[in-house]
Amino acid sequence: MANTEAEAVDFEPEDDDLMDEDGAVDVDASSSPRAPLPKLKSAITGGSAPSLSAPKKTKGRGFREEVDAERQSRLSGRGFDSLGSDGGPGPQRSVEGWIILVSGVHEEAQEDHLQDAFGEFGEIKNLHLNLDRRTGFVKGYALIEYEKFEQAENAIASMNGGTLLEQAIYVDWAFSNGPSNGGFKRKNMRPGRTHRSRSPRRRY
Amino acid sequence: MAAMEEDNGEFYLRYYVGHRGKFGHEFLEFEFRPDGKLRYANNSNYKNDTMIRKEVFLTAAVLKECRRIISESEIMKEDDNNWPEPDRVGRQELEIVMGNEHISFTTSKIGSLVDVHSSQDPEGLRIFYYLVQDLKMLSVGSLNEAGAFANPFHAGHESS
Repeated sequence: MANTEAEAVDFEPEDDDLMDEDGAVDVDASSSPRAPLPKLKSAITGGSAPSLSAPKKTKGRGFREEVDAERQSRLSGRGFDSLGSDGGPGPQRSVEGWIILVSGVHEEAQEDHLQDAFGEFGEIKNLHLNLDRRTGFVKGYALIEYEKFEQAENAIASMNGGTLLEQAIYVDWAFSNGPSNGGFKRKNMRPGRTHRSRSPRRRY
Repeated sequence: MAAMEEDNGEFYLRYYVGHRGKFGHEFLEFEFRPDGKLRYANNSNYKNDTMIRKEVFLTAAVLKECRRIISESEIMKEDDNNWPEPDRVGRQELEIVMGNEHISFTTSKIGSLVDVHSSQDPEGLRIFYYLVQDLKMLSVGSLNEAGAFANPFHAGHESS
């Protein structure tokens, strides 16, 4: 299991936890294929997402359907395997290593280009360059995994704002340790740029 | 083109695809929450398989990339009025809040582009079809990268 290494954390039950067990939901649902389909309602107003302000311009059939308890419980409540976390700010280690996101990747970039540009900070353990499903060109981002925190940190510090194939790229951590609010980006970065010698290894 | 306001304002995304059949309610669902939490659930009862539920916190950088993908798809300009309605075969839901717009689209499962072309709104449905795949790549891919799936097979349980 992934969680043996990534510190599985039971997350706290939430107020909107309508169902304790997801299993209970499916029992009667499965008894008949004609059971009512899940009715959609805004997860924002009715669900667990933090309430959002300001009236919205709404569109879609989903708004004309009724609320369904099962629908709202699917993604709420407990029972999710959580990767992380110690709750504090800062990047989150994955099971295998430290993952960074590269955005602004040129649509004709090849894995080799990224390998060349990012390999100098350490061995790249994993590289995912996803393609646009329609055009077949690079979608614009890549996920790169390093084994060591310092390698990822150096890659971010050195490559963020740099260029790849004459196009500006942005490099940052992909995962964080906990929730974030607006303008949290700086908070999520270690002070790596100016104090690069600092190497606060986590408990791994 | 993508509006510059894409960086600001609120953001929420939820996608669901599923059906009810002889194996019960089988579905895949994921959501990107405003605080960066990505939640993913995949329930397949085939061969007594169990529900997979994962969550991870994404950085603002990943959320921003997600917004960019949505923005460039121009899905917010579409409407599900003329899309095939959810049916016995299955159901898809896509809910997005971005800026001051909130869409909540529903449609049937889309087996292939043939379904898209034969629909009453092929252009809109095509946007939906490809966006969903790109979002799936981003969400499931991210979780996969994070090491959420001990068995990569799980990522492909339920698909549209």
